[in-house]
Amino acid sequence: MTALVARLRQLRAQTGQGSLTVAKPAPAISTDVRRLLQRHAQLKQGASSIASRDREVAGTEIAPGLRYTECLFDWLPPPAVVDASFARMEPVHHSRLLHFDAETTGLAGGTGTRAFMIGAADWVDGRFRIRQLTITSMAAETAMLRVFADWLSEDTVLVSYNGKCYDAPLLATRYRLARLANPLLGLGHLDLLHPVRRRWKGSWENCRLATVERQLLGVVREDDLPGSEAPAAWLTYLRGGSAANLRRVAHHNAQDLKSLAGVLLHMAALEAR
Amino acid sequence: MNALPDRYAAADELVLRDQRDGRTLAQRLSRRYAARITGAFMVPGREGSFAPLPDDLPPALAQALRSRGIEQLYSHQAQAWAATQAGSHVAVVTPTASGKSLCYTLPVITAAMSQHAKALYLFPTKALAQDQVAELLELNQAGALGVKAFTFDGDTPGDARQAIRLHGDVVVTNPDMLHQAILPHHTKWAQFFENLRYVVIDEVHTYRGVFGSHVANVIRRLKRVCAFYGVTPQFILCSATIGNPQEHAEALIEDVVTAITESGAPSGDKHVLLWNPPVINPELGLRASARSQTNRIARLAIKSGMKTLIFAQSRTMVEVLTKYLKDVFDHDPRKPPRIRAYRGGYLPKERRAAERDMRAGNIDGIVSTSALELGVDIGSLDVVVLNGYPGSIAGTWQRFGRAGRRQQSALGVLVASSDPLDQYLVRHPEFFQEATPEHARIQPDQPLILLDHIRCAAFELPFTGDEIFGNEAATPWLEVLGEEGVLHREGNRWEWIADSYPAIAVSLRSVADGNFLVVDRTSGRQTIIAEVDYSAAAVTLYEGAIHMVQSVPYQVEKLDWEGRKAYVTRTQADYYTDAIDYTKLKVLDCFDTSHAGCGHAHHGEVHVVRRVPGYKKIRFYSHENIGYGPVNLPDQELHTTAVWWQLAQVVLEAAFEERQQALDGFLGAAYALHIVATVAVMAEARDLQKSVGSGDGAWFVSADTLGRGQLRGADGQPTALSADTPFTPTVYLYDAFPGGIGLSEPLFNRREDLVAQSVTLIERCDCRGGCPACVGPVLAADEDAAITPKALALRVLALLVAL
Repeated sequence: MTALVARLRQLRAQTGQGSLTVAKPAPAISTDVRRLLQRHAQLKQGASSIASRDREVAGTEIAPGLRYTECLFDWLPPPAVVDASFARMEPVHHSRLLHFDAETTGLAGGTGTRAFMIGAADWVDGRFRIRQLTITSMAAETAMLRVFADWLSEDTVLVSYNGKCYDAPLLATRYRLARLANPLLGLGHLDLLHPVRRRWKGSWENCRLATVERQLLGVVREDDLPGSEAPAAWLTYLRGGSAANLRRVAHHNAQDLKSLAGVLLHMAALEAR
Repeated sequence: MNALPDRYAAADELVLRDQRDGRTLAQRLSRRYAARITGAFMVPGREGSFAPLPDDLPPALAQALRSRGIEQLYSHQAQAWAATQAGSHVAVVTPTASGKSLCYTLPVITAAMSQHAKALYLFPTKALAQDQVAELLELNQAGALGVKAFTFDGDTPGDARQAIRLHGDVVVTNPDMLHQAILPHHTKWAQFFENLRYVVIDEVHTYRGVFGSHVANVIRRLKRVCAFYGVTPQFILCSATIGNPQEHAEALIEDVVTAITESGAPSGDKHVLLWNPPVINPELGLRASARSQTNRIARLAIKSGMKTLIFAQSRTMVEVLTKYLKDVFDHDPRKPPRIRAYRGGYLPKERRAAERDMRAGNIDGIVSTSALELGVDIGSLDVVVLNGYPGSIAGTWQRFGRAGRRQQSALGVLVASSDPLDQYLVRHPEFFQEATPEHARIQPDQPLILLDHIRCAAFELPFTGDEIFGNEAATPWLEVLGEEGVLHREGNRWEWIADSYPAIAVSLRSVADGNFLVVDRTSGRQTIIAEVDYSAAAVTLYEGAIHMVQSVPYQVEKLDWEGRKAYVTRTQADYYTDAIDYTKLKVLDCFDTSHAGCGHAHHGEVHVVRRVPGYKKIRFYSHENIGYGPVNLPDQELHTTAVWWQLAQVVLEAAFEERQQALDGFLGAAYALHIVATVAVMAEARDLQKSVGSGDGAWFVSADTLGRGQLRGADGQPTALSADTPFTPTVYLYDAFPGGIGLSEPLFNRREDLVAQSVTLIERCDCRGGCPACVGPVLAADEDAAITPKALALRVLALLVAL
């Protein structure tokens, strides 16, 4: 059976129409449109409200629909220059490094997938700084992209986990759709996934960041929202639902950033030894 | 090899020895077989009409053309150049092998060389795309033009894709790739789109019906994405001959096009013969088979040293005819084969090899299905024989168009089968000569297709405000998608929000769940020897079927329907198999109703179930039926639109003594209506189907082995109606495409004509009791029945004739 037939039948079933043998007067509007509208009405009726009172998203609103958080830690004092030879890169001064991780509406790829949160971490005067941008409306995306672009300079070296294949191209698409220049273009990019794979593939059950941080840093996350649930968390909030899970996404994102830095320093140290 | 009696030896005296051209062969055939030829005409050849290479061509390109032997252009190529340079969208409609591709190659290469402009080519198949790139590369090499052309399709490796996106001046792909891979990732193609100047769409006559309606929507999406990048590309479309090329091109791109319809390419005269096989049983009015005649004509042509192409309607017939010709021409296994079969279902490698052999002139006879109809290049041919009417005037000319050399006359012969439509046309050659070719129709605003593409478009770029998609405001559709949860509305913008990739779920061709693989297990090994479309599987791969590949018979031992595989072994069978199939139909929705005589005519949506309950075994050469076998397969379902006529029970009871008579009358009426309707809307016969059944789907009627209407219940088993069951037989004509392509509405609009013409068709038929040219085949016994099937059909139609 073809996809088209399946869809026709599916639509029909959803409108509750059975077989009609009695001739009816000619409809004033096309039957297909009528059917779509009926279904529309039916869905509208059935749509239960998910409105929630818990609408608290962390941070300050720095532009309409764009929230910003920042915190500083005395944590993981970095060496002045990080030995990146494990990633086949030149040594980098720690102040040039920017760890980043985007939370997105899905994995489908293409022009229909977007980032709703961008987290970035760097060392400022020896202290570890985590900044996060979260949009609470679609329209705020452009503002978020602009702010993130301001965090990058010509000599920034990005640090990510699978960012070369995922986060960076996704952001490139978003910048293109927003008609903004892509600020990631041409920057150095240290994607930790590849050196981790080269080194430990086969010795661990997998090379996901959660596995790596447990093996190398002994991090065990509590009450972590799995990354796969992030899209639903944001969508729920966007549709007027609870922000509880969205806050957990932010927490998860912050932990990812810490682990990025931890894994980076760990691998640099291994190399130095 | 058995020594077969040479049944056609008598014809050998006709073999051409000196003057080997179409005109001479046509003359000899006409003299020898005058009684069989119902129409003979000649399409005069044309002197070439030429124009100099335009002055404004880049000198390097002009030089490359000259080095390839092109010193001047055909007039249509020059016109296309002028029109594209004037900024118009262009549709070029000229015959096969008239140098159509130069019409778009010149502007595209010129723009690439002078402005670094890009071009997107769309071909319906990968094979045509590859041919085109090869041609471009040759021209490019000849002049060192520096234009880069690539194919981009499902076979393009991942690492090559990035390079193609960035560096391709000409990207050659198909609508499916544009729909599923390019548009949903348009940001990766940003540089390409920003510089896109031309969109070339070749073979646009293939974009009709459901496929065409989808493609028109893909073009809407393409334009929408182009607008985002600030470009408005020019379209250059090419088409084989159809009745409404300009209208069709304009419907596809929804813009005004300049149509160029006069070919300047020279061609030899083309002789056409309409051939009706001789009557071999005057008692029953039986004619010799089309196959025997085709075989005879093809044999004569090949023996005369003329390159011959035979078109058959089914894959089985291709194999049967190939076997017969091979028996004559390829009996020495030490010599390279002179005869080849060509059809869908062979592996691509095998088809490419066949094409190469044909181009090289190593093959003298090719037997093909419509697979060769598209622009596949196989070189020049002298004779085309059609074994049966291809179902459309345009299709007939496209096939005849395969024959023809510049200097020499060519011959096309249409051999009528016993199919009533064939008989109707071959007896009315004036219709064939005068009829304009069919119109290509699309319905891009068919709501469900539209919904699919608005969904895909919303993924590509958000909809804003009161955006129009095609001809309609998108808002109602966006609301449906919003309720579905895939779009989110914020202010006046609708944004994609779901974690899914909608284009993957939308198939442009509506050809379902993939092809079947045919696996040969003869020698213990498993070898894939063929592929069969989903739609053809039920009628060709049932267990017990003889499946022929290059005329070697294999028997299907096991069919794994879910796994889409048929396991076969080599066999020595002396028969082939032919599926029996029947349909039942259920009305789902009625759009419109009117009075039709004492009854009613309706137009609406129906659900069709097609079933293959068994098959016949037919012996080679004698073609006698030597047995039956059962088939147990899932039903094929189709949701489509139809027009139907119904008579109330009281009316029927007054007009007929018994229900059986009414059923036989409905079957005959359906048969005649179908013939008339097919010609009236210029549909291909297979696109319009007929059925007789109860209005509520409780039962349907098929002709049994005696030609009588046999009632079957919903389960397909023969049944009878008790006297108190309601009795409302209904004759349906339905669109054989999922969702319909809009045949039924024009039929409904012409409903009174159709009934009146059916009455005329039956009344004027020479037969006594009924025959395949009016109400369908009847038994000898019925010829002299008190009330003939013909009379019964007329009685039903009389009740439906407008008062």
